[in-house]
Amino acid sequence: MSVYIMADEALFQFLHNEVIQYIYKSSEHGEMENGRCITKLENMGFRVGQGLIERFTKDTARFKDELDVMKFICKDFWTSVFKKQIDNLRTNHQGIYVLQDNKFRLLTQLSAGKQYLEHAPKYLAFTCGLVRGGLSNLGVKSIVTAEVSVMPACKFQVMIQKM
Amino acid sequence: MTVHNLYIFDRNGSCLHYGEWNRKKEAGISKDEEFKLMYGMLFSIRSFCSKMSPLDMKDGFLSFQTSKYKLHYYETPTGIKIIMNTDLGVPNARDILHQIYSTLYVEYIVKNPLCVLGEQLSSDLFSTRLDLYIRALPFFSPRAA
Repeated sequence: MSVYIMADEALFQFLHNEVIQYIYKSSEHGEMENGRCITKLENMGFRVGQGLIERFTKDTARFKDELDVMKFICKDFWTSVFKKQIDNLRTNHQGIYVLQDNKFRLLTQLSAGKQYLEHAPKYLAFTCGLVRGGLSNLGVKSIVTAEVSVMPACKFQVMIQKM
Repeated sequence: MTVHNLYIFDRNGSCLHYGEWNRKKEAGISKDEEFKLMYGMLFSIRSFCSKMSPLDMKDGFLSFQTSKYKLHYYETPTGIKIIMNTDLGVPNARDILHQIYSTLYVEYIVKNPLCVLGEQLSSDLFSTRLDLYIRALPFFSPRAA
């Protein structure tokens, strides 16, 4: 299985940050718009995730089950996009998975604690979409949310929707 | 051997960050005026050095020293100026200032979308890391103020 490495981490980070600034600037109407912006970012991530997963799994064998898919996301997918693996995967074996990243790449430069915590969700929306898009093209319908209490650690919660 | 204080200026002369570790005597003027004085002095001394240089200049102004302290200067191509006052035991801090720029400023300020370039730096992460870095320098030793 060949794994594709992103060209340059800094390039993606800068672009990602600019996308977030742009989306927030072009909707000037205050707090109510926050949800819409997050949704837009998540949808962008969704499309990107769909495309990325096609590339990454071009030569991979079919996945045995849901858990296998989640493990792929945690190891190979995360490594290709963020150059590290998910640190902890937990599940209740009933369709809910929690992916914990203790040093999330897009948050490490922001703060090492509580500063800027209220802005953190904006920087996680795109990645939530990325995971949702990747899973969707692997045949798994899901809802992905993220939470962060102390930067740069964050948790992504994946809820599998039974079709 | 110790580091007294550190200034970071941007290309327009606004002071982005000021850190102090071991300053025994204040300047007697407000912080704003002190920053303006520092920036103005550097501007003048750099242009003086380049005008009066008897040879072709390579790096320009690097440092000056008095009988008590030494001021080290480092400027990046983007106009960020880092100034560090240390005691006389420190030979050449240019590499350290370069490190501060590349591993601290670029990493934690430039890459932080919530830090507006050109204003006083408000990132706690940057301040903490800078503090740790300075304290970890081989020539830094904490002395009672």
